[in-house]
Amino acid sequence: MGKENSAEKALNLIRGRLCDPTSVFRPLSGSSDSNFSKLKFIVSTSITEGCNNSILLLGPRGSGKAAVLDLVVGDLMEEYPDSVTLIRLNGLLHSEDNCAFKEIARQLCMEHHLLFSKMASFDENSQFIIAMLRECGLAHKTIIFVLDEFDMFAQASDLLLYSLLDAMQSVTSQAVVVGISSRLDADQLLEKRVRSRFSHRKILFLPPSREEIDSLLEHLLSLPADSSFPSGYVSQFNEKIKNITSDTRFKDMLKTFLNANSTVNSLLKFIFRAVSSMNLESGLLSLENFKTALSSMQRQPKLEAVRDCSILELYVLVCMRRLEVKEQSSYNFISVMKEYKTIHDSFQTSDYYAQNVCLRAFEHLREREVICYAENRGQSQAVEYRPMKLLISASELHQGMRSHACCPAILLKLLDH
Amino acid sequence: MSRLKKHMTREENSKVTRRSARFSSSVTPDNPEPNPSHQPTVADLTFGEESITLDALLSSFPGRRSQILDLIRLIGPLDSPALPVMVYGDASTGKTSVALQVFRHLNRPFVYSSCRTCCSPRILFESILNQLLLHSKCSSNGYASAKRCDKPSDFVNLLKEALSSVVETLNSTKPERKPMGKMVYLIVDHVDLIKEWDKGTMILQFLFSLYSVLKMPQLGIILISGLPPDVYYSNVGYTDPLPVYFPEYSEEELRQIFLKNQANKKLYSAFLDVVLRPFCRVTRRVEELSTSLTSLFRKYCEPLDDLTISPNEDLKRRLYSNLKPHITSCLNEIFRISSRPLDGDSRGERRQKASYSSEKGEELEMLDFHMSTSAKYLLIAAFLASRNPATLDASMFDSTGGMDNRKRKRKASEKSMEKKEMAEQEAVMKGPGSFPLERLLAIFQCIASVGDSSFGEEEDEEGEDEATGYDKESKNMMSDILLQVSSLCDANFIIKSGSCPLEGSIRYRSMVSEDLSLKVARSLSFPLSKYLYRR
Repeated sequence: MGKENSAEKALNLIRGRLCDPTSVFRPLSGSSDSNFSKLKFIVSTSITEGCNNSILLLGPRGSGKAAVLDLVVGDLMEEYPDSVTLIRLNGLLHSEDNCAFKEIARQLCMEHHLLFSKMASFDENSQFIIAMLRECGLAHKTIIFVLDEFDMFAQASDLLLYSLLDAMQSVTSQAVVVGISSRLDADQLLEKRVRSRFSHRKILFLPPSREEIDSLLEHLLSLPADSSFPSGYVSQFNEKIKNITSDTRFKDMLKTFLNANSTVNSLLKFIFRAVSSMNLESGLLSLENFKTALSSMQRQPKLEAVRDCSILELYVLVCMRRLEVKEQSSYNFISVMKEYKTIHDSFQTSDYYAQNVCLRAFEHLREREVICYAENRGQSQAVEYRPMKLLISASELHQGMRSHACCPAILLKLLDH
Repeated sequence: MSRLKKHMTREENSKVTRRSARFSSSVTPDNPEPNPSHQPTVADLTFGEESITLDALLSSFPGRRSQILDLIRLIGPLDSPALPVMVYGDASTGKTSVALQVFRHLNRPFVYSSCRTCCSPRILFESILNQLLLHSKCSSNGYASAKRCDKPSDFVNLLKEALSSVVETLNSTKPERKPMGKMVYLIVDHVDLIKEWDKGTMILQFLFSLYSVLKMPQLGIILISGLPPDVYYSNVGYTDPLPVYFPEYSEEELRQIFLKNQANKKLYSAFLDVVLRPFCRVTRRVEELSTSLTSLFRKYCEPLDDLTISPNEDLKRRLYSNLKPHITSCLNEIFRISSRPLDGDSRGERRQKASYSSEKGEELEMLDFHMSTSAKYLLIAAFLASRNPATLDASMFDSTGGMDNRKRKRKASEKSMEKKEMAEQEAVMKGPGSFPLERLLAIFQCIASVGDSSFGEEEDEEGEDEATGYDKESKNMMSDILLQVSSLCDANFIIKSGSCPLEGSIRYRSMVSEDLSLKVARSLSFPLSKYLYRR
């Protein structure tokens, strides 16, 4: 029981680490030329020297931009308490100007312990914000604006960005605007007048190198040698981790995985899945855990959809494929039924069902998004007459049928002709 | 406290049986008006009923062992932070019921919302908030939600507040039996329906990134979707949740599922031996199979007096041969709404057998719903109007009401055969043609006069004073025709297609299949095939 308890505690600890982005990226940000240091340098100089600044953090989704920014802000809050105010906006939520200004005003009020009125109008909010900027500038306090999903702000309308950047230039203010975006051309989306006020500093977040990943793995998966765990267990666990990570099979697995998706976030998901399947009785990780995690991350949904089809649905798919091969540019349910009938007549299959049953199978395929309407216009026509098209390729259909549990041989023959 | 538990049990019980396996006997759902004197507590966020063991959970879902274990592992032990999970699979594969029963086993607080009942963002957000704030809509607060929330930005703020208050209460309560933990889980069902919503893609993106936006480790998110995760890929990029796949049941698993609730397992198992395989070739969905199999099982048991015997081989063979002719017809039906009561079934079947055409030896089906004679003629007229080109009307329906003989056919050359095939293909792709109302009425008058020769004679008469019975009837029929047209439109036999841009009159289109119109024509003894234009 004690063993299981410590195994559970270890599991919780590792899972907690994996779900918290800041704890993941701290070890990656150790070196002096990492993005963390660059960002920290820029923001801290603008705090100490009392000037305005704007930066863009760019990189694919899940590469740690927001996490690194959180680390920087956390450090700065400790170093300069009382002179840093943080305002967070998200492009998904606050791309409308009303929403954005309201949210900024609300967060400013919360920071400075003022009462926020939900009924304040747009003009009142914007005047309040500019006034606050001036006040904070005079008091030598820096406001850091974090704009997540920056490309959505840039695309929606530029009123927010323009007023912020304009206020920063005209009013005596100390503000840093940090934009985070997964689009590498986010600054191209800005309008001319906004782009001219935006400093073109960009920090690019690249996928980590192999050594960084190895060190990250070790850091994430090793248990700390403190008193909450029985010491024998800790050393056993860490020993096992070392064995696994130095195993060539594990290295190959990791390489295959990273070839497909090299962001840190996807690696975290892979490790999370592996760790969750840890055997709680033994309390140790094993290579099997990582193998099962890999296979469950590498799903092929269309193949699964074909494998789930009943035999009648497979017939419908094969008929559609044959019509495509015959170079019929468009086909609908009625033409598929004609093909079905010709197959039945020439091969005397045992699977010949009435039209309404076939229509139901057709609908099932359409719900599962294996086939779809070819165009959206013909809404007034009956389902049987609207042109359809296949959403899976011939090779996927082939593969799916070969791995199907009980696909009749004649269907495979028909597919190949 | 015990009264509260009983009330919760009753409510949760009706909730559970509605969402558990579809063919288990369901309790009539009663929604008791929540008693305003009860103060709901955080404990009500758990399942509320007796927690079940893992073995009970695994045995109540045959064929879902690996998925259940996977889900439990991903949710993790008590108080363990979790990444968002997406459970996906086809309809009726047990996703919702498994998720809910897993939470019953784990006894953790959760909040469930379905995007099928919450059909707009505002209703979805408010439903989640109501559950977290332990607010129930009753007459005292005018059935209003706790907070008004229709924008994602408001939702994030309110959700953070609600979650922190729930977590605080969880931290301070002492659980009586099984510990509840300090985490709250959010289950959103039918996420694939959000795609159809207004601004659906934005809401989906918001939902997927909710975990990273909130940054609250005490929240666990489970999304249930009918579609695989690849349909949610958008070009803006999103963080995909961890997938858990629920495949369709295999034949063996279906057998176990159907045997679970049966009284006489041996008899049902013998029944399934002969019936399950052919039906699985058509569809593997549990709900569709169960409707066909229940009616077929009734027929299977008909010759038996005692339903509790276990059959031996001889009995099995005899029962099978009795059932065999019904299997093929049942395979070709989607659902059967029995208009005749089951006891008088034998008489109805005999009547049906009489419709066998002795020369053809084929089974001719009768029309199984009732229509008035004028409606039947209208249906046929609409079908003809959609199928035949308008230019042929004059030759098809001349004043004698009979069909004009076609000009002698020339021997078809190869090019014209090809052209004929192309034209046929085009006709199939285009579907039934549209026609104005006047053409429909003209054809109707022509063919109605064919049906009864005395009709034809009386119609020419303009005189009203010696109105015979037929004449009066025909005049009455004329006035009802427009009503009949509108009722056929309501029944979707005829639909309104676009209006002609020049004249502005509405055009109609017939939606009836050829089989149905043949059935209708046969019931009127109308020679439909003579009037159909075949290219």
